[in-house]
Amino acid sequence: MFKLLNSAAYRIAFTYSAAFALTMVPLGVAVYCAADDDFKRQESTHITEETAALLREFQQDGRAGLSDAIGEREVGNTITNLGYALFDAAGRRIAGGLNTPRPPPGWHDIVFEDPHEGSDAARALATDLPDGTRLVVAVDREGLERIDATILSLFSMALVLVLLIGLVGALLLGAYLRRRLSDISGTARIIMAGDLARRMPVSARRDEFDQLSVTLNAMLDRIAALLDNLRQVSSDVAHDLRTPLARLRNQLERALGDTGHSRAALEQAIVQSDELLALFAAILRISEVEGGALGRAFERIDLSQLMTDLGESYAPAVADGDRTLECAIAPHVVVNGDHELLVQAVINLLDNAQRYTPPKTRILLRLAIDDGNTRLTVADDGPGVASADQERMVRRFARLEASRSTPGHGLGLNLVAAIATIHQAELLIEGNAPGLRVSLLWARIPP
Amino acid sequence: MRVLIAEDDEDTAAFVTQGLADLGYVSCWVASGTEALRCCREEVFDLIVLDRLLPELDGLKVLTQVRAAGNRTPVLMLTALGGIADRVEGLEAGADDYLIKPFAFAELAARLTALLRRPPLGDTVTRLEVGSISLDLLQRKVRREGREIHLQPREIKLLEQLMRHAGRVVTRTMLLEQVWGFHFDPQTSIVESHLSRLRTKLNEGRVADPIETLRGIGYRMRTDV
Repeated sequence: MFKLLNSAAYRIAFTYSAAFALTMVPLGVAVYCAADDDFKRQESTHITEETAALLREFQQDGRAGLSDAIGEREVGNTITNLGYALFDAAGRRIAGGLNTPRPPPGWHDIVFEDPHEGSDAARALATDLPDGTRLVVAVDREGLERIDATILSLFSMALVLVLLIGLVGALLLGAYLRRRLSDISGTARIIMAGDLARRMPVSARRDEFDQLSVTLNAMLDRIAALLDNLRQVSSDVAHDLRTPLARLRNQLERALGDTGHSRAALEQAIVQSDELLALFAAILRISEVEGGALGRAFERIDLSQLMTDLGESYAPAVADGDRTLECAIAPHVVVNGDHELLVQAVINLLDNAQRYTPPKTRILLRLAIDDGNTRLTVADDGPGVASADQERMVRRFARLEASRSTPGHGLGLNLVAAIATIHQAELLIEGNAPGLRVSLLWARIPP
Repeated sequence: MRVLIAEDDEDTAAFVTQGLADLGYVSCWVASGTEALRCCREEVFDLIVLDRLLPELDGLKVLTQVRAAGNRTPVLMLTALGGIADRVEGLEAGADDYLIKPFAFAELAARLTALLRRPPLGDTVTRLEVGSISLDLLQRKVRREGREIHLQPREIKLLEQLMRHAGRVVTRTMLLEQVWGFHFDPQTSIVESHLSRLRTKLNEGRVADPIETLRGIGYRMRTDV
């Protein structure tokens, strides 16, 4: 029982059925009182009518007529429970079978001697007649008591029945609730034990439990996706670190073995270490940006000025690489953001536009407001990227096969994507026919 | 020159101390924040190299307390591979420069030298002269041997930094920070491209090149050309 009360499901079910049973009690009391009251009123009416009828007999035929009338009534009185008595002035019973001492006039609860059952209670009306006699008409209380007892026992039985049904119902309901909940917690335990693919059971009923399960499943899917991403990144990091570390190790080994070229090999080793450090810096930078803490220090940034500066800074270097950089920058474009991150995003795009294109490529740095949307674009007319690969480019360490031989860690666009996300901009990678066009798009903020 | 090195990693501290000794500096090494704070109160240093993460009291708190006590000694803050937020916090707390670990010693040496030679605050220079080159900072005009040389705004900024540190090494990252405001390394060699243009314009019709390239480290403005 203690265990049952410890369960919220059972507690709710028991409380509910107890409350239901309790409503039976006032109902029973009300029915009992109303019936009792009504019956007593009927008795009184009956007595009053009977007394009136006998008085009429007395007025018509005098005392003898009255005695006859009483005698007739008593002979025929097998169904009703009326009793009669006529007392003379001395208090002796001169007619009627109601065996009781003479009561004073008026309404009384009296006790009489029933020839079959002994002492019995009755309701009586005593009326004095003009000749000094006193007429008593009484109704046996037995009938009322029987009806009261019947009502009481009926309601007691009903109460017990309701309690029993309630108890059984509570046990069933409690067991049902517990079963539904234990399905969910059991599944949760299985998932905790390591079966991450398991999901909460969802029945066709679509009730509250199913809705809860659906929500939990959506949460589990999200967590699983994040875990998957994390696992993917960890294995990518491990994989991408192995190659440069192996190269570094080989370089150091060569430096150790070949004294003639050890200086050059050591310099190479430092270059290798720097690449590894750059890789780590990029990973940390991405997680810092994705962490979102930088978003709190956002301020108004003059994007036009920022891009004009970058265009001026990059033009000589792009020209040195035998490519051209064209700028088409709309003035006075302002966004909310972090200056350094926006600079880094544009720089990464400009770096990519040079690294993956042949000489003579034209690179376009463009900033425009189209239809209220702010669009920052770095486009080139180089070989472009197959549309199937365009989506893949954004992923961490996603280096397309064609660019495996080019230096770089495959994190540049991933960082741009992270920067776009915290700036609430969309990163678009499109074909430029020919070439590639990468844009950050700030959708127009509805007024 | 006395340098306080507050750094809890023994290897890094030894590497820095050795390098500074080679440059003729005297170093004092402490490995905790509380010790660093005590040293700053009791002794006078020309420079402080302060690690961001120190046991007992972190570098940022040490710096805040040192500055609160009115100590204006130049401070170079060191931090592990880190983010934007760290650097901004360090500079706001009163650091004069900021360097991310791991670093090449040449980078640290160049920055420390720059901090030591920094002109006192409020001392505004309007004209720089190094060898045969003069730069009017107000009119943004450059002359070499009296003849005016036309430079782009960014080339003037580049030249200004080299002239301010004339005779000393200015690293590539220092130039990226001071001329472009970049606190990261772009893949594209924008410093080299601008510098080669600056050099071409400065040297037009002359033999002597006033800008020395120190491979893998940076550049140095010669004072004698």
